[in-house]
Formats: sequence, C-alpha cells, structure tokens
Amino acid sequence: MKTIRYDRGYSRRKFLGDAARGVLSCGVLMPLAKAIAATGDVSKAYPEELLSIEAYTKGRIKTGDIIDASNVEVVKDLLEPVRFEQIRTMGRKLKVVKTTTDVMRLSPWEYIEATLSNSGKAGFDARGNVVNKADGKPWIGGNPFPDPKSGLELFAAQTMSWGRHDASFYAVNMYTTEVASGDVKFSYSGGWAEMSPIGRVSMDPKPYWPGHEDKLRYQSIFFLTPQNYRGTSFLNVWDYDASTFPALYGYVPEFRRIRQFPAEQRFEPLLPGLTLFLSDAWGAGDPLYTWGNYKIVGRGPFLAGLSESWNAAHPNWEHTTHGGPKGQTFWDATVELVPETIIVEAEPVKFPRAPVSKKRVWFDARNQAMVGMVTFDRNGQPYRSFDGAYSLYDNGSQKFMDGQHPYWSWAHVTASDIQTGSVSRLEQVRQVENTHFSGANNPQIYDKYLTQLALMRLGLK
Amino acid sequence: MYPLRARVARWTLVHRKAALAVFGLLTLFFAAGLPRVQLKTIFSDLLPQDDPFVQVYKDHPGFGSPLTIMTMIRRKNGDIFNDETLGKVWDYTRAIDRAPAVDHEQILSVTTEKARYAEATPEGIDMRPLMGDHPPATPDEIAGFRAHIDEAPNVRQFLISRDNRSALVLATFIERKLDYGQVFDFVEQLADRTADAQHEIYVAGMPILIGTVYRYEHQMVAISAVTVGVIVLALVFYMRSVVGVLTPILTSATAAIWAFGFVGWLGISIEPLLMVVPLLLTARSFSHSVQFTERYFEVYPEVADRRRAAELTMSVMMVPSVLGIMTDILGIVVVVAAPIPAMVRHAIFCGMWAVWLIPTGCVLISLLLASLPPPRNLHRFKDRKVSAGRPGILVRLLGGIAALVTGKRARVTTALALAGSAAAVYVASQIQIGNPVEGTNLLRYDSEFNTAVRAINGSFPGVNTLEIVLEAKDQDAPIATSQHQDTVFTELALQRALEAGDHPPRASLSFADYLMEANRLFSGGDPRWAPLDPRERSVQAAAVGAMMGSSAKSFSHILDPGMQNSTVSLWYKDNKQETVDGALQAARAAVDQVGADHPDFRVRLGTGTIALQEAVNRVIARYQWVVIGGVNLFIFLLCAGAYRSFTAGAMLLVPVNLANEGLLAAMHMLGVGLDVNSLIVAAIGVGVGIDYGIYLLSRICEELQQRHGTADARWSAALGGALRTTGRAILFTATIMIMAILPWYLMSGLKFVADMGLLLIAIMAINMVLSLIVLPLLVWWIRPAFAEKHNSETTTLINNSIKEEFVC
Repeated sequence: MKTIRYDRGYSRRKFLGDAARGVLSCGVLMPLAKAIAATGDVSKAYPEELLSIEAYTKGRIKTGDIIDASNVEVVKDLLEPVRFEQIRTMGRKLKVVKTTTDVMRLSPWEYIEATLSNSGKAGFDARGNVVNKADGKPWIGGNPFPDPKSGLELFAAQTMSWGRHDASFYAVNMYTTEVASGDVKFSYSGGWAEMSPIGRVSMDPKPYWPGHEDKLRYQSIFFLTPQNYRGTSFLNVWDYDASTFPALYGYVPEFRRIRQFPAEQRFEPLLPGLTLFLSDAWGAGDPLYTWGNYKIVGRGPFLAGLSESWNAAHPNWEHTTHGGPKGQTFWDATVELVPETIIVEAEPVKFPRAPVSKKRVWFDARNQAMVGMVTFDRNGQPYRSFDGAYSLYDNGSQKFMDGQHPYWSWAHVTASDIQTGSVSRLEQVRQVENTHFSGANNPQIYDKYLTQLALMRLGLK
Repeated sequence: MYPLRARVARWTLVHRKAALAVFGLLTLFFAAGLPRVQLKTIFSDLLPQDDPFVQVYKDHPGFGSPLTIMTMIRRKNGDIFNDETLGKVWDYTRAIDRAPAVDHEQILSVTTEKARYAEATPEGIDMRPLMGDHPPATPDEIAGFRAHIDEAPNVRQFLISRDNRSALVLATFIERKLDYGQVFDFVEQLADRTADAQHEIYVAGMPILIGTVYRYEHQMVAISAVTVGVIVLALVFYMRSVVGVLTPILTSATAAIWAFGFVGWLGISIEPLLMVVPLLLTARSFSHSVQFTERYFEVYPEVADRRRAAELTMSVMMVPSVLGIMTDILGIVVVVAAPIPAMVRHAIFCGMWAVWLIPTGCVLISLLLASLPPPRNLHRFKDRKVSAGRPGILVRLLGGIAALVTGKRARVTTALALAGSAAAVYVASQIQIGNPVEGTNLLRYDSEFNTAVRAINGSFPGVNTLEIVLEAKDQDAPIATSQHQDTVFTELALQRALEAGDHPPRASLSFADYLMEANRLFSGGDPRWAPLDPRERSVQAAAVGAMMGSSAKSFSHILDPGMQNSTVSLWYKDNKQETVDGALQAARAAVDQVGADHPDFRVRLGTGTIALQEAVNRVIARYQWVVIGGVNLFIFLLCAGAYRSFTAGAMLLVPVNLANEGLLAAMHMLGVGLDVNSLIVAAIGVGVGIDYGIYLLSRICEELQQRHGTADARWSAALGGALRTTGRAILFTATIMIMAILPWYLMSGLKFVADMGLLLIAIMAINMVLSLIVLPLLVWWIRPAFAEKHNSETTTLINNSIKEEFVC
C-alpha cells in the first residue's frame, strides 16, 4: 500500500489551519515566494493534487475534458456560485487545460521583473495610499505586495494596475445575449485605453510621468458600432489618492459637449444592454477606500482561465461561443486548476446606495491576479459576476509581441447578472476597423485616447 | 323486454364486486394525479385571446409596467420636504431593494441616483443625483434638494405629487423569480413599519394585486371546508342514518378525486377564482345522491333486498340523473366558446367533474347502497313520503302554487307572468356592459389595494394607462427602431394629437420625452433646447445621450428589452366606460392621423389597463348571446331527445331563460353591469337551473299517467301532485345549492368570488321560483302529448318489479 503524504486532505487542512491561525503564507509544500524566487516555477510549492485536475478529481476529470452540467458537481468546490449555476442550468461549458507553473507566463515580463526587484519596498502612507517606503512617493512599479499578508494588500495591488502594462489599448467587441431567446440583442465594438502615470516599468519616463504624479490612471472607452453610438465615449481620470472618486466624463459627438456623470455612479452600465458596471471592472473598478472591511475569507484551489485563451486561429482573435438557446451566450473558454487562490471579501463602505452588500474576489496566489469576482445583493444572495481569461499571446507556433516578449493580457470576459440571467461577453480583438489596434505601452496612447480633446477627435472619425 | 337501462342496472349489480374493484382502481389512478394539481391564477389567461388589444398585450407584455410595485408615501399634514419624510422615502427605497426577486437596477425614487438634475459647469454638463449620500436633514439641505427638484421635470411629474405631499417609490421585479406571495408579505410588512401617525403608505401594482389574490385564495380553502361542512351537517340533519350520510359523501368525494386527479394528470392548472363552481357541483352531487338514496330507501322496504332495490333505483333514476347532469355539463362547457383560456381550463375541469357525476352518482352509489347495511329507521322515509299528502306548511304552499297555475286562476297568473316577463326582458336589455372599478374588480371597493389605487391616481398620473405600441418590423435592426427619427417623431405626433384632442390624457410619456430631456441637458439645460432636430443623426445622438451611463432597464416602461419596440404611455383619470370610450376614440383618430404603417414600424393600438378593460367588455358583448344561445340549443336538443319531443325541449327552456332575464334586470336596477362573472353565471344558470324543470316535468308525466278522469282534472291533479312531491325535491336541491354557495358570498374577501356567489344564489333562487310557476303554467296551457308517453315503461317496470318481489 502506498501512502500519499500530500493528499487532497492535506492541502485542505493546510489552508484551513493557516486561516485559523490568521496566517497568510502562500504555498503548501514550501513558501510560494521562495519557490518562485528560486526557479520561477511554482511546482515545488504545491502537491500534485493541486497541480493536476486528474489528481484533484481522482481521475474523474482529466486535462482536455469539458466541464458541463453532467460533471460540474465534481468540481463544485473549484467554482464560484455563478459559474457553477450557469454550467448547471444554462449550458455553460469550460475546457480544462494544463496548469501553468512557469510564473513568467502569468504576467507581462517587465511587470514580473519589477515585482521581483521592488519586492518589499511598498507600504501605506498615512492616508492609506501605496507608496515607495524609501521616499514616500507614489509606487515605483510591479506588484507592490507580491507576498500579500492581507486582503487590503491584494486589492491595493489590483487597483494599482489593472492590465499590468504601463499603457494598454484593447480593441474590444461586446455582446449581450437576451436570456429567453438566446439572441444577441446588443452588440458594440470600440476601444478601451488605460495608462498609468506612476509605477511605470516599460514606458519612458519611468517610474513617473512628470506633472501627472497625482494621478493613478487615465482610462477611456469609446464605441464605433453600432453606427448611432459611433464616437460615444467615456473618460475616467483617477486621482492617486485612493479615497477620491475618479472624475467620469461622457461625450456624444453630435452635441459637441462633455457631460460629467456623478462620480459615485459606479453601479450602472456604461451603455444600455451591457451587464457590466464600472465598479465591476477588473474586480476592482473603484478606488481602494470606497470599499472597506477587506478580509481574507478563504484559500484553496480554483478553476480559472490563465492560459490558452488567445484565439490565434482567427485573424482578428475573435472567440467562438456556446450555450443558451442559440449557442451564443458564453465564450468557448479554457480553465486550468489554479493551485491556490486567496479569497477576499470587501464591502462598499462609501456607496450608501449600492445595490450590493459585498464582493468576493478570488486572487491567484501565483501572480495575485484577479481570477473571479462575485458580488452579493443586500440580502447576501449572489448577484453579479465577472470572470475572465488571461493568456500569454504565444501558442507555440504563433506569437504576438509586446516589445521583447510575447504580449500578456486578458482575452475575454464574461459579466453576468445571475438574478436576471443576463450575460455580457467582452473579448479583446486584434483591431477594430483598420485604425485601432490592441497592444501595450504605446507612448501615443494618451494623446490619442485619454484626453477630452481625444474624445472629441474620436467622435469626428 | 326490459329497457336498456334496466339491463345495465341488473348487469352492474350482478357484477358488484368487480364493478367496485374497477371504481377502486380508477380512484387510485386519479388519486395518483392529485400531487400534480396546481391552483394558479394566470391573470393574462382571464383575457380574450383573439382580441386585437390582447394580442398587442401578448406581443408586448412589458409595457404598462406589469412587474412594478408603486408605493406612495404620503405626509398627512404638510409636505414631504422635511427630514422625517425624506428619511422615510430614503429608508423605504433602500429597504425595498431587499425584497425577494427585486431587480436591483430598477428601483426608482427621488432618493436614487437615477433621479438626477443637471448643471452647466465649465467642464460640461454635470449630472448629479437629486439627493446626496444621505437624506437631507438640515434646512439648507432640504432647501437645496427642493430647488433641484424643480430642475428635473420628469421627477416633478412622476415621483413627487402635485401637492408636494406624496413621494412615489417604484420597484420592478424579475418575473422568473417572482413569488407573488413572498413579495406581498415583504412589502406589506415594510409598509406597516413605515406608516406612522404622520405618514400613510399606499401600495399598488400588479405584483401586489396578485399577491393579494393569492392570500385570499388561501382563504378559499377555508371557505370550501365550511361549505362542505355545512352540506354534510345538512345531510346529517336530513338523513339521520349512516348509510344516508355516508353514501352521498363517498360518491361526491370520489367524483372530486377523479376531477382533481384528471386535471393533475393533464397538467392543467385550476383557476381558484372560479372555485365556487366546483363547490356548486359538489352541492349538486350531494343533492342528487340524497334523492337517489331516498328513492332507494323507498324501494327497499318493498323488495327487502339490497341488491334488487339498488338495481331498481338505478334503473329508474338513471335517465333523469344523466339528463340533469348532461345539462349541467353543457352549461359549464359552453363557456369555452369565449376565447378566454382560464374559462377553457375551467370548463375542462368542471365539465369533467360533472361528467364524473354520471358514473359515481348513478353506478357507484347503487353499488354502495347494495353493499352497505340498510338503515333501521326506514319508516321515517316512508312516513315522510306519506306525509307528502298531509297539509304541512310547505305542502300547503306548493298546493297554493298548484292552484295558481291550474284552473281559472291560471289566466290571471299567466297574464301576470307575461307582464313580468316583458318587463324583465325590457329592463334586462338596458344593462350596460362592463363593471368598471377604480383599481380592480377582483377586490372590494374598500380593499387596501383599491384604496391605494385611488390614492395614487389622486396624486400622480396613476395606473390607468393606454399604451400605443410602435412595433419594429425588423426586430434585429442594427440601429434600434425606437431610435429612428420617424419613430420618435411619430411618438411626438401621437402625444400632440392626443393632448390637444377632446379627451386629453392627464399625462403622456414616450421615449421622445427622454430624448428631448437629453437634448436640453446636453445643450446646457435651457428648456428652449429641448425640441429635437428632425434629422436622423440628431435623434440618434439624443437617444445615445439619454441612455449613456444607464441601464436599458431604466427605460423598460417605454422600450422593450431589445429597444426595438416602444410605446406611448397615456394616463387617464379613471377607467369609467365614458373615459375608456373617449380615450380609445381619440387614440384611433390619432393613429389614423400619423398612419398605422410606417416603413420601419407599425403603430398598434393598444395595451394597458384601458385597452384591456375594453377587450374584456368586448368579449362579453360578443359572446354573451353566443354562450346563452349555445347552451339553449344544446339543452333543447338534449331534452327534446330525452322526452322525444321538441315541445318538451322548448317548454323547459322558457323558465330558465326568463330567470336569466330576471337576473339581468335585477343587476341593471342595482347598477351592476355585465362582466365575466355574469357570463359564467348565465350559462350555469341555464344548465343547472333546467334540472328543476326536468324533475318537475318528469314527475308531471308520471302523475298524469296515473290519473284518470277529464282532461282538466287529470292535468290539474298531475300538476298538483308533481308540485307537492317534486316541488319539495326542487326546494331541497335549491336549498342545498344555496347553502353551498352562501359562504362564498358571505366570507370571501375577493369581490369577484363573492359577486359570483351572489349571482349564482340569485339565479338559482329565480330559477326555482320560475320552474314552480312558469313551467306548470306552460304545461297547463299546452298539455303536451309527450307527457302521456314519457317514462311510462319505467313506471311500469318499477311497479311490475315490486309486484314480482312481493310474489316471491
């Protein structure tokens, strides 16, 4: 008889034991940070049953299998309630791929390097903003808390840098499917731009853009189709102060006027039909301290999309769909067994009218990326979810480069309202029209997409 | 040669055990269907499906806010602009967000972020919620809030009353998750907590109405229990023997199990609002069983053999029983002519229940009587039969009636009956269609719901809407049809035409209004910028401006979820018939003016409470006489066949139709109009009421065949004898029926059910009286030939059989 020392129960006991002692130490067999520092690989930190779906499910689900209504009960513990319910009742499916152990494939290369080199330099100032401890100035780049000890640190890092590039432009297609008919009722295309004036690791000047150190982020979104929405755009300007609401501007070309929206209007979609609130973006769509009572509520393995999500087979990277009455409700998506996630809950302390009571976010312990989010209504019932898929844009035979290294980014997102059944799908595509191309760290991004003048110009095209 | 029914009776009783086993197995089969039974009110199924207005409603069920609960918080003294009242509006808005199945994106009041005002700033147009992060508490905050209200015209019109004393909170629910009972309980408790000495809370909206009805439906179970209890008590009092009580209960219960089990297996839901009809059938079953059992008790002492007595009873009672039940079935089933799904389901359920009364009330009862021990007190029944000849009060009364309908007095009675009939027909012809109630006719005038509707109608545009739908021809148009220039300007043209017309609505709203508001706000806030530029691009830009940063659900009252179809909502002060007529006349003219057919869409009139009320009225007008005519035709053919005489069919129909006219005349004099209730009652009134005539006519035939002497003497004696004997049975049946229905009238909190109970009681009573007067008069004057032949062989059969038994 062979004794399995690190069986499924061992990992579970370890996670529960750490939680009971109030310890957040990532890794099961050894500290995760040490394993990453030593080899750049997480394999040594976790037993086989957390690195292989076959081992975890005792062979009932294998790499390459599809998770659907027939077998989802087997992995119920690895899913948040919304995806579980969608798989069980709405025909959603997930394909399981191999777990990624090489951390360099889990974030942009420069971001990881900065994370490692700046490790231990971050702290909070008196106002709670993340600063470089050495000089009290804004953060200098990479993940400020690669070995997080609290939920606040995880959220601070996530809010600090959404796309993990200094600047990103995502050409985006968006769809919302009608629940009953399964028809796509809303279809938009456009672009999403974001740029950090601080903590820059790729774009010059680094780490700060002089004159903009008081800002955390510039971010805009604009629409090209349908025709009547062409040129409609929004601009968010984030203050570095983590308690201040971003200014939110909207623009409709025909009126030639900028409209300022209520700053705290974060629980409304940008355009009708989308099941995506500003607050939901990246699981951390609001300033850090507009939410509070951050607490780690659990740790454990999870199923999330972190690899093989780039559809290089399509010239414009578009993804295929399935599920719902017309097979158009969900992305064809891959997930892998994430050996360890840290589950953090937070409450909307500065939103007295919020329709949510809390959100629960799953962070991948390997790279601290948000891999799943569920919000709960004020009765504590699951309400909305935001689950995406990241990928290195390198499938072995094809690559899409970001400077010296393959591009790493999100590939698609599913935003759901489990109460109404509404589902919106977003995907990053290569380009929209022949003008706007996805990519990172383009120095022209600010002038092209991130000023009020830029919004007006976009409306003219 | 024995007639068929005698042979059937003999065969059944000979194979008694096998027959009982078959009944047992069938009952088990139907009982297995009971867990599948659903009691459910589907409100849309109470509407006539072929009506154009209902078809618009079916195609666009979201217009008219059917899933929205509106709560009016009213300050008793003073206005709402104080910290206490505004705090209550804030708290209530937050609290209703916790209601089960509420759509968190569709909650609206002056405290929500969706209620905004606009300011021009150096950086553009700044949109801000009317209320900050907390309800205004200080005088300055309240004054600031009040000032902002005036900069938000839609809020001014739809969320705060004209007299500033009331604020409205709107909450919309997710249909597929909505449990109306749960929501009703939640909102009721919330309203109770919010109300105090200074504040009144009024709650209306379809979810509340349905929740209220569901609550009363639980009450119906209690009323049903009372009804059954009353009938059983009457039975115990009347029969005073175990067999006499047990037999009607067992047969009626078996029929009920079959009826419920049948619809359970069919998967058809039962409409609780019409439960009074099955209870009427139960009473009918009891009354029939009692008469059957009594007849058995009469026969048994003569033959002294249970099986033989049951066989003879079955043989003699089969024809009148089946005939009576068939007329009930026709009266119930004929309402399927009206294209109302709830009625069709009701007809299947109740019609089949009536069908089951034939095997249970004729066959099972015979088997039970043949199997159960006979009562010891049979002399009571014999004495009772003998006492029929004694001049008791009842008999004297019936004898008096007999004197009025025969001989010379018959002329005076006939003249009076003719005059009364003419008057009834004339008055009945004046009756109005429709029974408008502000709120709903399902509930009483002073119910909380109707009170709330009146209060909200008094302070806000209200709940009486007419929706004119602009339906896209291409439901997948890339640029939503609702945002086309033609669509928006057609909406504006409709609103202009209706507001300037003879019957203007008290308010109107369309997507065009939001576009004008967006135009105004994006242009700096000056109202002079509100009018839309009639260019496609401008209209679409205004649409984008109105909807950016908002959920499509915020517009669900005027746009469908796909934003292709839109509606022009028109609010009217009430739903009285003249208002409905005026609104529809004006709407038709406005639609003609703008044209119903456009390149991208068609204008469809209409839906909303005004249009649907008209649809119901129209179906009553269309089918009132179809239903009555149908039931008359079928029953005429049935009775003519049974008596082998067209004269018999025609004679039997006269009193029941006169009863119907009498009921309509009484309703008109009481100021009550024709509605769905009266349609059902009229059909059942004919179907069930004709039983009295059948009992009486059959007995007249029997009596006549046993009389000798001159024609006048024979007919007079036959009528007198029939009235004194079967008249009692009619009185008994009518009493049982009225006792069964009375609790529904007295106890039901649902006006619809109580009204139906009252109408049924009235028509049963009128039927009874007319059967005892008008039918004998007809017989007296016509002296039909079939009376000499009808059922003579049965009478002979019984007499011969009894003689044979005695010989043995």
